[in-house]
Amino acid sequence: MKFSLTRQAIMLAVLALLPAAGEAIYFRDKISWRSPIPPSESVNADQARAWGQNAIWVDARPDEEFAQDHVPGALSLNEDRWNELLPEFLAAWSPGKKVIVYCSSLSCNASREVARRLRKEAQLPDVFVLEGGWEAWLKQK
Amino acid sequence: MSEQVTSVPSTISVQPSARPQFLWRIVDVIVAGIFIYAGVLKMVDPVQFANDIDNYKILPWPISVALAFYLPWLEIFCGLALIVRYFYRGALSILMALILVFTLATTAAKVRGLDITCGCFGHASQHWSFPAHLMTNLAIIAALVVLWVSNRLTKSLQGRRSAWGS
Repeated sequence: MKFSLTRQAIMLAVLALLPAAGEAIYFRDKISWRSPIPPSESVNADQARAWGQNAIWVDARPDEEFAQDHVPGALSLNEDRWNELLPEFLAAWSPGKKVIVYCSSLSCNASREVARRLRKEAQLPDVFVLEGGWEAWLKQK
Repeated sequence: MSEQVTSVPSTISVQPSARPQFLWRIVDVIVAGIFIYAGVLKMVDPVQFANDIDNYKILPWPISVALAFYLPWLEIFCGLALIVRYFYRGALSILMALILVFTLATTAAKVRGLDITCGCFGHASQHWSFPAHLMTNLAIIAALVVLWVSNRLTKSLQGRRSAWGS
């Protein structure tokens, strides 16, 4: 049976959809379609507030934005001045405390990166990214 | 002035020689193997691949996730199609389109100064430099072009042979 080039390409493209759909169902609990941050590593503003004194807030935004306004008690820790700010943050951190990292909004990546580095480089457990970032916190205020 | 072929001397063979055919089959299998290998590596870890796509900062996250599930299977199916030579031209054109898009996206990311992991070959390509990515992609593009041309030539020779035979 002979197929035109376009028909061949379409058939291959459709065939690949089937196992891809199966895999998407299989991995449904391991990946979120809404956000790159896995559900186990993120926290919403309500939950974060409920942790109260058991949590340290980390502002991953640039210095100027932190200077304008930030979550009360938050410490600045951004990638631009990582080596300078990390010791200050570690001095304030104590075992058992949860760390909540935020950046400006849902679409920013700074909080993800800072959270990743805190887990990997500083070996901290319980590091969470605030869903929706600073914008979400302001809405809840 | 048009010249009509009425007969072909029996000493002239228009059958493509066996050696180039064998060589093209080797190229087929190598190219197919590269795409199947790359597809399987990404298929087993779609979460990492979705993050790799997201690093390019071109697509929204839900589309990165959808592509992370879909593209590895497309590469695997097209690779298999090259090996079994079924839907051959369709597979070649899809793979060519994919590799061109990957190359453009990698180049665009480099131009925009993004420090990215291309994710093309899972963790194996995590520490590849931009020139290494580019050279690999260009070599694959060249191989695909060669396969496409050889396929067209073979088809054309077979067409002429059947025309002469009839």
